Amino acid sequence: MNEQQIDEEEDCSCDEWSSGSSYCDSESTIPEWDAFIEPNGQLLFIDCFPKVSHTASESNSSSNFFTKSQARQSTRSKFLRLLRRKNSKRFHKPIEIPVADNKVKFYDHPEGELREVIIKVNNDNQKLGPKNSLVESLLGLTVDTLSDGSRLMISGFDPDAIKHKGIKIGDWLKSINEVQVTCNNLDSVLESFVSLNEVTLKLQQVSGVEVTKHPPINKISIRSQFVQLLTNSNKEHSESLKEALASELVGVLFLKTEGLKEDSPEFEEVLYNFPMPYNKNILCTSRGAFLTLNHLINEMVSSKPHVSSINYKNQLAHVIYVSCGSKLLLFMFPDKCLSVEGSQLVAEEIFRTIEFMYQSLERFLETTSLRDEVDHFFLRVFTRILWPDTVQFSSDPKANKPWRFEDLLLGAKYLILPNEAQMQVDDALSELEASDYREWNEDPLDCQRLFTILGSALYHQGFLLTSHFVHDDLIDVTSFCKQQGLFYLSATEPLKCLVLWKEVFPSSCNRSLPNTESLFKVPEGKRYLLVVGGGKDLLAVLMEAGGCTETPEDNMGPDPFYVEEVEATLSHLKELGISDVADHCLQTNPGSQIVLPEGFCEKKKADFFSSLSKSTLSLNKEGPPHLQKKTEVTSILKRRSSDQGPLYTTGSVLSWNEDNLEDSVSQSSYSEKSEISDEPILGRRATREKKPFIDSPNDDSDIDDYRDGSQASTSSFDLSELRQNLIMESEDMQPMCLTGGTENVLFHYVQFDSTEGVLLLPPPCRVNSQLLQLILDNFHRCSRMIHETFKNTLRFKKMLAENMAKSVLNKSLIAIKEQGTLFELTVNDENPKKTQRISYWVVGRLFYDPHPREVYICYHESVPQNIVEVAYKLSLTLAG
Amino acid sequence: MSAHVICIASGSGIPIFSRKKGNLENFPFSVIGSLNGVHMFTKSLSITLLNTLMDDYCVVWKEYFESILIIGISSGCTKDALEKLLLSVFNAIMLILGVNEVRSLKNVEKIKRELRVIYPVIDRLLDCLDCGDSHSKYCSDLISLAEVILCNENHQIKIMLDTYTENISSAYTCILIHGKIAVATEEWWDLHPEELKLLAFLASSDSKSNIKDVPVFLPYKSPKTRYRLITCSPMPYMHICCLANQQHSLNEIERSAINCFNTNLEVLNSAIQCFPRNIPESLQLDLGVLGLLLLNKNRGKYLISTIPSSADKKRICSYSHRSDILRTFFYRSVLKFLHTKNNLHEYVKRECLLNDEIDSSFDKKEIKSDESYVSTVGTETYWCSEYHKCYAIAVEENVLCLMYNSTVPTYAMKHIARKVLKAITCNKQLCW
Repeated sequence: MNEQQIDEEEDCSCDEWSSGSSYCDSESTIPEWDAFIEPNGQLLFIDCFPKVSHTASESNSSSNFFTKSQARQSTRSKFLRLLRRKNSKRFHKPIEIPVADNKVKFYDHPEGELREVIIKVNNDNQKLGPKNSLVESLLGLTVDTLSDGSRLMISGFDPDAIKHKGIKIGDWLKSINEVQVTCNNLDSVLESFVSLNEVTLKLQQVSGVEVTKHPPINKISIRSQFVQLLTNSNKEHSESLKEALASELVGVLFLKTEGLKEDSPEFEEVLYNFPMPYNKNILCTSRGAFLTLNHLINEMVSSKPHVSSINYKNQLAHVIYVSCGSKLLLFMFPDKCLSVEGSQLVAEEIFRTIEFMYQSLERFLETTSLRDEVDHFFLRVFTRILWPDTVQFSSDPKANKPWRFEDLLLGAKYLILPNEAQMQVDDALSELEASDYREWNEDPLDCQRLFTILGSALYHQGFLLTSHFVHDDLIDVTSFCKQQGLFYLSATEPLKCLVLWKEVFPSSCNRSLPNTESLFKVPEGKRYLLVVGGGKDLLAVLMEAGGCTETPEDNMGPDPFYVEEVEATLSHLKELGISDVADHCLQTNPGSQIVLPEGFCEKKKADFFSSLSKSTLSLNKEGPPHLQKKTEVTSILKRRSSDQGPLYTTGSVLSWNEDNLEDSVSQSSYSEKSEISDEPILGRRATREKKPFIDSPNDDSDIDDYRDGSQASTSSFDLSELRQNLIMESEDMQPMCLTGGTENVLFHYVQFDSTEGVLLLPPPCRVNSQLLQLILDNFHRCSRMIHETFKNTLRFKKMLAENMAKSVLNKSLIAIKEQGTLFELTVNDENPKKTQRISYWVVGRLFYDPHPREVYICYHESVPQNIVEVAYKLSLTLAG
Repeated sequence: MSAHVICIASGSGIPIFSRKKGNLENFPFSVIGSLNGVHMFTKSLSITLLNTLMDDYCVVWKEYFESILIIGISSGCTKDALEKLLLSVFNAIMLILGVNEVRSLKNVEKIKRELRVIYPVIDRLLDCLDCGDSHSKYCSDLISLAEVILCNENHQIKIMLDTYTENISSAYTCILIHGKIAVATEEWWDLHPEELKLLAFLASSDSKSNIKDVPVFLPYKSPKTRYRLITCSPMPYMHICCLANQQHSLNEIERSAINCFNTNLEVLNSAIQCFPRNIPESLQLDLGVLGLLLLNKNRGKYLISTIPSSADKKRICSYSHRSDILRTFFYRSVLKFLHTKNNLHEYVKRECLLNDEIDSSFDKKEIKSDESYVSTVGTETYWCSEYHKCYAIAVEENVLCLMYNSTVPTYAMKHIARKVLKAITCNKQLCW
């Protein structure tokens, strides 16, 4: 975080805050999502910043999702009122179903209202590099043109820099210090004000239709088809998508297998079918074959069929069988996206999500009132299967890519944060989960709480940062968010606010079904999933109503108090800089833990590059002089000044990114390793030893947190310091080199822990490398097959002794724990004629103590590796 | 543990034959009818039903020439191996009937009678599947490949064979020891691996007489014209085969066989002693090696030996177990990883598209990867189990798979394999 911004933050007085956030705009206690609650209590509310091309870094502009609600602190009575409320407010007014686009809101000021806003000019910020526009660096605003092409619209603002005194996204920026501005003269006008301390902006509220012919909202909505798909708000789009799906080899079918008669009408046994209509769906028309096979094969070899492969019009597809009692669920997936093994894994995941969301398959598919929801569910499922990268319809056949191996596995991708940041996250989540509000209220409360929190997890761009869930629930929640596209949303859309509320049936509670076998009785009640998102973060919370709480109502909607509480936790974490730290981890990782294959093709070239990079690296270590100065400012933190990369001081995610890019492009990252890998553990230990010293101010703040009973109330000074700390620590964190030898030779790794539901892998590589892509495609294919081999071993381990003799499992396969292949990749370039050749290993290893864990690595053959060692180092990084 | 093949005339739905191995009951007619019915039903919707997988079993359907449907059901083996088996079974049918009769399939009853000759061959083909715990004596069979035996005497036998070939004026001759090819003429090796395999099975299938004369079509080389496979057996476990046309006289061929070979019986006798090691005693391998499988991709031949060290001649049962492990490794690892032509997807698609094309991945005419921009080729693969390790390396056209003791370190496997490969391929006497 930038020095200046922090200073400003401290300068800001509290009363400015309360007027600022969009959350508080509603002025009343009714939250903005209240209108979107469905009659059954479910809610999916998504509010995005407009995506504007002008903005250099969207992640920066979108950072303000919810600020602390001032009201919460002061109104104890409100809290009580909320807890005691008899009826939800939504029942008092007609229920609005969100039909219209709900992404960008133009708030309810009178049309054309003119306002004048005084804004500080941020003179120090000009060094921010060419990518940031002048208006952004000076005023902390991002602008876009209105659809007439010249007038300027506010498209976003830096929340830390300006305490946006009434500035709204979508406002027409008319003039600065009485000088009219358009997109043509904006920069020149601004330059003339550089020396001033303050400028006056004149803004006019735009009500779309009146001011411009085409309201900007349309322009924005085109860009966010994904959000429309998610909220099911654009029927037209959904319909066209359904048509597109009908021509693909996809489908889902739910069938009765009993009580069928010869003379019963056609399609009588079909309980559910997607996509419609019946007679155009290949799966539906050929259902007889699969029904027959299902019972025939059981009769023949007393084993259930898993999958049938078919060929239709020269396209290969797989049909997956899921038996459930006397009913049969069939999925069809095209081979171009999912292989046989992949199809089975994905079907398993879908099935699990359905159980999580609706308790059972029957309940999901046979409740007629849910029909639309079910259609929408599968619409998204199949869109994701066919276009895994974009999750949107694309007519380009190349978009139908085979799935990556890691996406097939039931688990959450885990991102390792520095210890300190990890602790802060854990701390914040624990506090949220404790729901201890005693200190908040002077008088003892005379009411029961509404919910017990069962667990929570924080995700950043789809990567898991921390989970406080039971393992099974983590898998449930992660699959749910994956299926629902929430991860994709938080990674790609400039998310302002997301609130999701849904009754769910977690597997830790036995899907809320009575279980006589278990020793522990699951309390009767209902469980709800609350997902709150902002920026790139998602916080998922499982709540239980029942047991020690008040008796749950039917169709219970989200409770504003709890939503606010989760929002506050999220914004607290945001303020701590967790989001930036995570971003940093995501962006630096590919450079140091894995390498690009290009460097290995021709050794001579690689040497040249490595020497080149060494020189740049040493430059980086010293750091430019003006940055050195800044570190002195923060030297209260007693850090080795040599640790300070040039990165943290600029505070911009972008600049990290750039540096990283340069590094990787020059194919030098492995050589960088050689310098750092000398004493990776020492470095980490050093950090740890220093910790008590650094921790001491934080500890104080923790106690403050506790006393206040709310994370939102921590004083901003402590937070900003803590934030500095965390970001600095993330600078220090150098992921350990996993392979042996002086050169890093690792291209990719995946560690899959099926019990904990955790996946460990390097973040996606940001450098477009054709070779790496080719290697990874093959890696994904091979890992799938190796995973299949390990399945036999695991199955045998679980098998009871008496079943072993009966089993027809191939006995040669029962104890395989490692499998690997050396590949040679040859790329012939026609023009100019040259051949690139590279050899690499793909190796998988299964560990089954204390519980099964699979590790897959892909590395260059030049340095032989022992996968057990690599796996060991990998688990060391996980342990922190 | 069990495998079934069912052959059905796809037009009429009449079962032609059904063979099985293992302890599974014969399927009732209704089951066979349903399996056929399902395939027919999907066909009417222009869908081709390819296979269905269960935990350990798989079922594969394959229709050839729109006239014959073969269904395979097996446990323990991969879908790919079963698909290859069906192709071999179909080729066995072609061997007897020829392409014209297979296409028309006029008189099913007559065909059923004609095909009885081939039952022993089909039963042997079923033995090619790896089931995990086979104790059959044929557990060294691999699908679509011809097995060879490497004796020290091979070089001498080759000279005898050449004289014989001259005498009978047929270029297609070969000598089998224990049903494995010891030596053969270049012309014989030019046959398709499938044909090599089937002819060897047919020649060595149990027979009382010393001389056999079976009319055969060659599924790839001459699917329309009939040849005669003439087999003389001068001593047990030894077969002298030749392909002859109608002009050849059986007596003449038998007489030349006696002339050429009976003079050197002791050479042949000592060659037969090479079994069951399949490689000469003189060839000593590293003690950590428990078994070896060497194959030549272009010729479609392979050698399997599970008694690499002569000191270790104890339990026959463990030898068959070893070759079963080697086979499983071959089907599940070598075939999957070392034979990837550009992209497996492409390969699968091609297999599906060319329903009628008779092909296998060991086609002698290399699939031309013309102007292939990118190619990924596996060159080494291995797996480690608790009890053993398997390793394969591809060097040019040869692939050597070794089974090691689990105490052999993983990094040493490559080194040992290269030594073994050199010892075998560079030995002129062995005629690899």
